[in-house]
Order: sequence, then C-alpha cells, then structure tokens
Amino acid sequence: MAIPAEYYLLLSAAVFCIGLFGVLTRRNALIFLMSVELMLNAANINFVAFSLQHGNLTGQVFALFGMAIAAAEVAVGIGIILVLYRNFTDVDVTKATTMRW
Amino acid sequence: MAAFTYAPAIVLLPFVSFLVALFAGDRMPKGGALAGIAATGGSLLLSIWVTLTVAGFTGSSTSYNEFVYTWVAGVDSIALRFGLLLDPLSALMLLIVTLISFLVHIFSLGYMNDEGETGLPRYYAGLGLFTASMLGFVVANNLLMAFTFFELVGLCSYLLIGFWFREDGPPSAAKKAFLVTRFGDYFFLIGVVGILATFGTGLFAPIREGGDVVAQSFPALAEQAVVNGATEGIAMLDTIGMGAQAWFTVLGVLVLGGVIGKSAQFPLHTWLPDAMEGPTPVSALIHAATMVAAGVYLVARMYGFYAISPTALAIIALVGGFTALFAATMGVVKQEIKQVLAYSTISQYGYMMLALGSGGYVAAVFHLTTHAVFKALLFLGAGSVIIAMHHNENMWDMGGLKERMPVTYWTFLSGSLALAGIVPFAGFWSKDEVLYEALIHGLGSSGGLGPAYLVAYAMGLLAVFMTGFYTFRMVYLTFHGEPRSDIARDPVEVGWNVKGPLSVLGVLAATVGLINMKPVAELTGAHIDFLHAWLHGPDEGGWPAQLGTGLVRYEETLLHDVAGVSAGYPLGEIGTLLASALLSLALAVAGVLVARSLYGGAEPVEHTDKLGNAKTLLMHNYYQDEYQVWLATGFTYPVARAMDKFDQGVVDGVVNGVSSVSLFGSSRIRKIQSGVVSNYATLLTLGLVLLLVVFGISGGWF
Repeated sequence: MAIPAEYYLLLSAAVFCIGLFGVLTRRNALIFLMSVELMLNAANINFVAFSLQHGNLTGQVFALFGMAIAAAEVAVGIGIILVLYRNFTDVDVTKATTMRW
Repeated sequence: MAAFTYAPAIVLLPFVSFLVALFAGDRMPKGGALAGIAATGGSLLLSIWVTLTVAGFTGSSTSYNEFVYTWVAGVDSIALRFGLLLDPLSALMLLIVTLISFLVHIFSLGYMNDEGETGLPRYYAGLGLFTASMLGFVVANNLLMAFTFFELVGLCSYLLIGFWFREDGPPSAAKKAFLVTRFGDYFFLIGVVGILATFGTGLFAPIREGGDVVAQSFPALAEQAVVNGATEGIAMLDTIGMGAQAWFTVLGVLVLGGVIGKSAQFPLHTWLPDAMEGPTPVSALIHAATMVAAGVYLVARMYGFYAISPTALAIIALVGGFTALFAATMGVVKQEIKQVLAYSTISQYGYMMLALGSGGYVAAVFHLTTHAVFKALLFLGAGSVIIAMHHNENMWDMGGLKERMPVTYWTFLSGSLALAGIVPFAGFWSKDEVLYEALIHGLGSSGGLGPAYLVAYAMGLLAVFMTGFYTFRMVYLTFHGEPRSDIARDPVEVGWNVKGPLSVLGVLAATVGLINMKPVAELTGAHIDFLHAWLHGPDEGGWPAQLGTGLVRYEETLLHDVAGVSAGYPLGEIGTLLASALLSLALAVAGVLVARSLYGGAEPVEHTDKLGNAKTLLMHNYYQDEYQVWLATGFTYPVARAMDKFDQGVVDGVVNGVSSVSLFGSSRIRKIQSGVVSNYATLLTLGLVLLLVVFGISGGWF
C-alpha cells in the first residue's frame, strides 16, 4: 500500500515554505544557510517522490546529486560566513551592505 | 613638342624657389630673392619657348592638352587630375605672368632688401608660391584644378597683404581680402560641383588621341545640348527640371561669383583698395597684374560656356560696365597714390568684363595684356615714389618729383598715358576696342541684349573721362608743381633694381598696344592685328579644330548663332570704328585737360569740396564697407544667433532632455539595490509569486 504522491508533495511544499520563511525573516547567516538547505531538500523530496510515482530511477540519482551539491554548498557557504565574520565581526546579513551603489 | 614636355617646369620652378626661400632663405644672400629671380627668369624663358611652339615656329604641333598627374583617383566618379592646356590664350597669359613676376622680383630687391625689411624669406616664399599657383591656374586644363589654384592664389594674397603683420592695418586688410574673395569663391565652388555633376567632366577643351575625342569638354557638351538638343548623358537636367540653356546660365552665374570676388567687381570690390596695405611690389604683381586677372581669365578660359547664354553675357557686361564707372568715380577723390591706382584697377577690370560680356573676346584679352603691363608699371612707379618719400603715400605731400626722379617720372608718365587711353599708348588701343565691341554689339543685337550692352557701353564711355581725369590728377599732384613737403624736396635716391623694371615696363606700356592696332588695320587693310590672328588661329584644322577654343567658334558659332549677339554699323564699318575711337580719345583728352587745369599749377589746391555732398559719398566709397559690415553684423549675426538658439535649445534640448530623464529615472530605481540580501530574496520571491499568479490567471487554474 503505497502512500499517494500528493502527500509527498504537500510535505515538500511545507518544507520549502519553512525554508523560504527562514530566508526572508532571519538575519543570522547560519540560519540563512540552514533555511537554504531546507529548500534544497524540499526539491530532493520531490525528485524521490516522482521517481517512485513513475517507477523511474533517474529522479533518485538526481536526489543523490542534489545532496552532493548541498554538501559542497555548505562548505562554500561556511567559508563565506567565516569571511563575513572577519570583516564585519558579525554574521548579520543585513550589515554587509558595502557592495551596493 | 619638346617645349610641352618641359612645360610643367614653368609651374614647378617658382614652387622650388618657394621651398628654397622658405627653408634656406635665412642662409642665402638677399633672403632668397636670387632663387626667385632665377626661377621666374627660367619660367619666363620656358614660357617664351612654349609660346613660340604654340605659334608654330619650332615645329608643327601647336597645342597641348593632356593630363600629367592624377592626384586623387576616383572610383566610378570624378578624379582630381592635374593637366596642362596650352593654347594661344594660356601661352599669352604665361608670358604676362612670368614677365611681371620676374620684374617684380627684381624690383623687390630695391623695395624690400634695400629698405632693410625683416622677414624677407617669408616674403620671397610668398612670392614664389604665388607665382607657382598663378601659373598652375593659367595652364589648368580642367575646372577642378583651376579651382584649386584659384584658392591657392587667394591664400598667397592673404599671406602677402598681411606681410607686415605687426602693424594694425595689414592683418585686418588681409582678413578682409580673404573673406570677401572667399564669399565669391563659395558660389564658384557650388558652380564647380554643379558643372561636374551635370557634365561629369571639368575639362576646358576636349582631349584627343589621334584625332578622336577621348574625353569631351564641358563647354562642348553644353553647346551640343543647347544647339542640337543632345541632352543624353546629362541626367542632371531631368532632376533639375529646367531647360538646358537656363540651367547652364545658372551654373555660369555661380562660377561668375568667384570671378566677381577675385577680379574685384561690384559688389565684391571692397577688398582691393584695402589690399594696398601690402608691400607695393605685391600690389603690382598680385593686386594689379595677375591674380586679379584670374577672374577675367577664367571667363575667357571657359568662354564657350558663357557664349551660349545671353543672360550670363548681359550680366557680365552690365557688372563690368557699372564697375568701370563706379570705381572710377571713387578714384577721383582719393589722396593716397596707391588708392587711386587700386580704384583704377577695379575700373579697368570692369572694362575687361564689359568686353567679355559684350562679345569682345579679343578686346578683353587685349586689355588684360596691356593693363597687366601698364598697371604693374604704375604700381612699381608708385613704389619708387614711396621709397623716395619714406613710405608717405599722400599725394598732397608730394609734388615736384619730376626733376628729382626723372626715370620714374617718364616711365610713370608712359603708364599714365596708357591708362588714360591716349594714342598711341597701349591702353588706347585696347580700351578703344573694348568700347567699340560693346557699341557695335549693342547696336546690332536684338532683344534685351542690345539695350543692356548700350547701357554698359555708356557707363564705360563715361568712365573714360574719369580715368583720364584721375590719372592725370595723380600725375600732376605727384610729379608737377612745387614740392609740398621736406621729403619731397629731397627724395631718397632709388637704385638700378627699381629703375630697371620700370624702364622695361615703360617701354612696353608705350608699345604693347601695337600688337592689335585694329583701327589702323581697318584703315590700311594691312593685317597687323596680330593678337586677333593669334587668338583666331588657322582657318582650317590646327588648334581651333582640336580644342574648340578658337575665335571662329566663339564669335561666329556661339555668340552669333546661339546667343544672338550680332554687330551693327550705323556709319559703316570704318566710320563706326573711327567715330568710336575718336569719341573715347576725345573724352580721355578732355579728362586730362580738366585735370591739368585744376591741378596743373605750381601750387595746386584741393577742389574736392566743390563736389559738396558727393564728396562725402565718394570719400566713404559709397558706404559700401558700411553696408557690408551692416550685412554681417546687423543681418547675418542676428540670424546666426537665432539659429544658434534653435540649435542649443531645440536640437540639443531634445537630446539633453532624453538623457536627463534617463538619469533621473535611474537615480530613483537604483535605490532598490539596497545591499541587504533579504530584500533581494523578498524581491525574488515576490517576482516568482507574481509570475505564478500571471500563469495561473492566463492558464485558467482558478
């Protein structure tokens, strides 16, 4: 008895929205990064769910790629946050506004 | 033939002397004068050789018309090519220019070197460049080349008038000369472009190879279009929507603008009297004998083009006749010797234009020749007087110079008699022929042409009296009576280099008229009208058939058949000729006698006050300068300022408005680039939502 795809999609949409909410409201760069991870994983859930639905393994392979990219992104993101902290002695994303006009 | 091979050297020799004087004049004795004398002397010898060849003394070939150098090659269009056209007209002009230039160079030794002037290399470089440009203009075989050199002589004139650039007058006079002649040249340029666009060629005479025409000339094309209606190949006519003759008249009159500017005809004559600020030898060479003649020469050069248009001919004749009288009246009241000569020059060029306009081609060329000689003589004589007077030019400070400088006096007298037109001096023969041609063609031509010629003739005739009067007023005031100043009592001695050129020209002024003694020829039946025969050419074949610049074509074909200029003899041919000659001679003698009675005494006094208001008018040159200045400052300047306002306000305003709107807009829009990452994320999200909503509405999801 398989769970219908709609439930997976609802779960993924919920996770994505939580991530989006985090990005829009939080000011701490680390939370920011975590929220982005949430949004990425929402996409992964979609991949896996559709893969199951269609009986096609391509989606699952893509989910693996997605996780690899998420790992790489975290590495780069943490690096950026470290530099941010060194330059502004803070990890508040709204403070780093020196690149604007 | 060999002479033609070396003909380019006539132009190049003075050019070399220009380079030598310019770059090595400092290190040479006499400041480069010797190079100039050698170069113009060489050009003179070569010109004589060319003239002899054209005359057929050295072989059978009697004309030359070839391109020698392509300066700018055109692709499917007109090329700027330098070529030589050597026929009797250009050969004669070559002789005149090289001779006068040679003598003026020698005279300059006395006027410039002996007076200790500085800047001599600049002076001789100017003279060299001028001579080269003038000779280039004379031999030019196409209109574009002629225009190029026409402008170059104008440049040299500017440079030499402004020779004493540290004083106030000369630079201003130079600018005036440049601007006024350039005003005429502007029309000339439009005319040149028009002729090139209409005919696709600027050749004065067709180029032939082995008897076949390989390049047709524009006067010949124009003649075919007017006479035979052969207008194919002249696409311009359809575009313009005019008849061939009317359009050619427009072109001719446009070119005439340059002629009027350069030959100082009314209303562009105002620069010439001011040009007397330049050194006197320059006045003699450029502003009397040669450059001013360039305009008249140009009309003579393309006479076949003017001769098919009666309107253009009438305009030329009327402008000439009016200028002759107009300038002569101003010459009557002038006090500076060079001013008198300047107005007399304007007046005499008026006669040449009158002759050209009224169908007297030979008369015009004849007067051009004699005038070049006697006016150069008079200017050099005036130069000699000016040396003697320590550069005081006021005739009322002179007097009694006759005993103190006899060579100058007798040569000046010879030139004056020639200018006044007293038999048998040169000016009599040529001026008489000018007036005679105007008279008979005025009497014989039908339509509006005849009365126009008669009006021009009447003005020319009146000017004869004036000429006699002002010429001898000048002679009496300068040389006769008692000296009126200390300098005149003890004038400076002039050297051989002044007396030599004066003597040569003095003899020529007395004798050069003998080349075309038409009245004597008619009376005796002897063929002694050599200039007529020279420009007429052989009856069959020869250069007239080759080039189409012969007298038969001009007078019998074009003037008579196309323009409708014909001669009328109310007293029979000889009777009319004698009556005309006696009338002009009597008027000239009357002018001389009036001058003698008014100014011939030992202590002459001014009589100009008797003229009343006319004196003020004449002294101010009919307010010509004033109205031209008004045209510039009162009319052109406000118009230009209004145009500037339009340009700055409307044209630039639109451009500036567009850019300021864009600047303002972007200064507002850039505010959304806050640098806060969250804002960007919000915008991204809002954008995505907006897109989804749009897709949703258009896709019918709701």
